[in-house]
Amino acid sequence: MDSRRDRGRYFTKKKVCRFCTETIEMDYKNVDLLSRFITDRKKIVPRRNSGLCAYHQRQLATTIKRSRFMALLPYTVLH
Amino acid sequence: MAITPNYYETLYITRPDLPEEDLAKIQQKLQDSISNNQGEIVKAEKWAERELAYEIQDHKRGIYYILVFKALPDASKEIEKHLQFYNTDILRFMTLKITEEAANKNKKSKEDKTPKAEPEPAPKVEAEPEPAPKVEAEPEPAPKVEAEPEPAPKVEAEPESAPEVEAESAVSENAEEVKVESEAKAETSEEVKSTQEEGGTQ
Repeated sequence: MDSRRDRGRYFTKKKVCRFCTETIEMDYKNVDLLSRFITDRKKIVPRRNSGLCAYHQRQLATTIKRSRFMALLPYTVLH
Repeated sequence: MAITPNYYETLYITRPDLPEEDLAKIQQKLQDSISNNQGEIVKAEKWAERELAYEIQDHKRGIYYILVFKALPDASKEIEKHLQFYNTDILRFMTLKITEEAANKNKKSKEDKTPKAEPEPAPKVEAEPEPAPKVEAEPEPAPKVEAEPEPAPKVEAEPESAPEVEAESAVSENAEEVKVESEAKAETSEEVKSTQEEGGTQ
């Protein structure tokens, strides 16, 4: 909690949702795009890091999950 | 209320060593079930052959086929039934309902479609104003989001200078004096440290 407050002190730059500003369509087949929103451990990047708005973050989560089901993205690093 | 046809997109993965005849047989069945439900195929093509992100039924690679069609809702059920039936050859499949614009964007790549007299009179007119290829091309120039997922490393990175100073002092004979001097020099790193400690205690 402290660290979060510190972070706010040092970094005041505000990110704007990429999917709102640019005309990118979220598509579960677009692996290159989606892979930017997963961590090294293949988890979905949280909103505080992805900088997306709530609406697009929800869409992103669904899209990544679809992509995972079709074996385009991994679920974990363990398989 | 009359049931209106929808646009669907089915993506399915076949095992890479599937013989052509078997594939043709499956695709024929899919085609039939679409045409049985007043539907028409917008696009049916091989999407890619690629490494699977994880093994499915001990297969490490798979061939992806995409099928975009317009039909009554029953068609999608029927298609999924067929694909499920061949579940040793079809590793995965997924059908999504898509918007008409998305379907027509796909259609643009295949322009030899004969327009029918169904409620689909102006796909070309709608397709033109769309900047479709750009959308696909654009995702490249902005890897910024990934580049800065951890906004905290600055604080952590700086203390590295402090251990270095200590290492230098260990090399020299009069370690303590040097250390004091170096501490004076490395005020900035000390400040960072102290702020960190404060942050920890707060």
